[in-house]
Amino acid sequence: MIRFMGVKLASGLAAIFGASILAFIFLRIVPGNPARLILGPLATQQAIDAQITTMGLREPIYAQYLNYMGGFLRGNWGFSYSAGQPVTTQVANRLPATVELALYAFLFAFIAAVVLAVLSTYRRRAIIDGTVRGLAIIGLSMPPFWFGILVLMLFFSYFGILPGPEGRLSPTTAAPDAVTHLYTVDALLHGQFATFLDAVWHLILPAITLGLAPFAFLVRLLRANLLDVSHEAFIVVVRSKGIGRLWAFARHALPNAFLPTLTAAGLILAQLLSGSVLVEKVFNWPGIGALVSDSIVRQDYAVVQAFILLSAFCFVVVNIIVDLLYHVIDPRVRVS
Amino acid sequence: MASSAEPRQAASQRSAGNGPRRDTPITRIGRGLAYLWHDPVLASGLALGALLVVVAALGPLVWTASPFAIDVGSSLQPPSLTHPMGTDSVGRDLLARFDQGARISLATGAIVVVVSALIGGAIGITAGYLGGWLDILLMRMIDAILAFPPLVLAMAVTVGLGVGVTTSAIGIILTAVPFYARLLRSDVIRLKALPLIEATAALGATRTRIMLRHILPHLVSTLLIQAASVFGYAILSLAALGFVGLGAQVPTPEWGTMITNGLQYALTGQWWIALFPGLGLLLAVTATSQIADRGRDIFDPRSR
Repeated sequence: MIRFMGVKLASGLAAIFGASILAFIFLRIVPGNPARLILGPLATQQAIDAQITTMGLREPIYAQYLNYMGGFLRGNWGFSYSAGQPVTTQVANRLPATVELALYAFLFAFIAAVVLAVLSTYRRRAIIDGTVRGLAIIGLSMPPFWFGILVLMLFFSYFGILPGPEGRLSPTTAAPDAVTHLYTVDALLHGQFATFLDAVWHLILPAITLGLAPFAFLVRLLRANLLDVSHEAFIVVVRSKGIGRLWAFARHALPNAFLPTLTAAGLILAQLLSGSVLVEKVFNWPGIGALVSDSIVRQDYAVVQAFILLSAFCFVVVNIIVDLLYHVIDPRVRVS
Repeated sequence: MASSAEPRQAASQRSAGNGPRRDTPITRIGRGLAYLWHDPVLASGLALGALLVVVAALGPLVWTASPFAIDVGSSLQPPSLTHPMGTDSVGRDLLARFDQGARISLATGAIVVVVSALIGGAIGITAGYLGGWLDILLMRMIDAILAFPPLVLAMAVTVGLGVGVTTSAIGIILTAVPFYARLLRSDVIRLKALPLIEATAALGATRTRIMLRHILPHLVSTLLIQAASVFGYAILSLAALGFVGLGAQVPTPEWGTMITNGLQYALTGQWWIALFPGLGLLLAVTATSQIADRGRDIFDPRSR
């Protein structure tokens, strides 16, 4: 066990190291002149030379890499010149909105996937199963940003039953006092039901849009797992002991079918991370994704660089945790 | 050719009882079509894909309006006979732009599929067959790429190399290489243990010859299925990069940038600007994922 954890941690660290070199190549070495990117096209040659020296760009490559990564690890993620504040401040301000949206998107994806996978496998009706498979294919093929525009046109412009792209709350609603910075949780903690409903109301469309791809992915995986597990010998044994079909399915097949979905956690995180850049822009959601896409348009690449490195860190860390958890939960993988 | 070998073989085994049967190209095509008749998912995927290829190839020849001509007098017009998909904010004909967008998407998708298959295939086969330190080195490189969410790495590449369709394609290729490399490597390791490879080596075949003539043919079906999924991934990513402003730049009629352009008009009643390019994307990716799905079922019966 210790040895296994050591190997996993080492390979995770190797992946982070490799990823940071890759990011360093594309974000620091290749883009022409970082000093000019910061000072803008009107800066004098002298100013640029001075900037190059202060940024340490005259040092050898390996020293630049160490400076860059050292700064990043100490929380120095650069300065966003379009906002006039450090990237860290900006990211900290924007993080709660993204976390809240991703949380509800994941909840939607997970619940919808479980319900539909169970429906399509418990009673093998061809129509239901076909519909679920079709939904999965469409969900995986759907450009999320376009789906967001589509549901906005439908439910906001045409039917007028859900709020438009105005962020996390109606302009007339005040944000609840910050405890967790998640509006739905904070509103409930303070007993402000109107605010809670308003926050939920504003979450519905963005959460479904962001959750669509993870939903499609999960429903496919769960459906396949459920079909596999229900053919296993132990299900036959359970049934032959006289346990009803429903109980055998709910108590014995379902938990086993959930296990492999744990390995998909990293992939779902990746979908949520890259999806947030696309979806938040559509809904004017004041999160990190919108910050990144706005920064791209303003060519304020310090923010984009921080986002890219952070995503890699989160992605690798989640994958390591999943590997270790899986090892603990499912004894079968320890053998192979 | 080898790609369709397995269903064909199955079909000829089925008809073995009816005596010898002539195997001409026409009967082969006929049998292929007969097979498609019983596989509506694959058939609809292929038909959709063919339709989009026809639109991309012949569209600009049939609908000769310019995708770039600005006509402010007829801006933001809804779909009509003169402009079947309407016009955008500066009066450009959106059907002409849709056709060009189909060309850009499909061509980029095809280039990404081929280049990443060549690079990823070469990495996967050499790493798997030769093993040793080369395998370790190559796989650590692949791990570094896989440490990023794919679209995020593609963003990093376009930020580094500069925005545009070409740099986006390079970024997408970089993220697609691991898909091939990982899969082919594990296939090659499995194949390497087969007696046929050992026998060939005993006969004195060189390593290059074994890899190219004896291992590669076994990988064709895996490669084709993977190519279909990568194709869908590539056009979706290109559109996503275009949507956030890292892909095609302003006058280029790329589907993703067309959707960005339509975003600000979508809620003021001009629904057609964003609708059609998204529909094109959805159809193209759905078609390829249907083909990839069925391909997996057909070539790999274990996955059913």
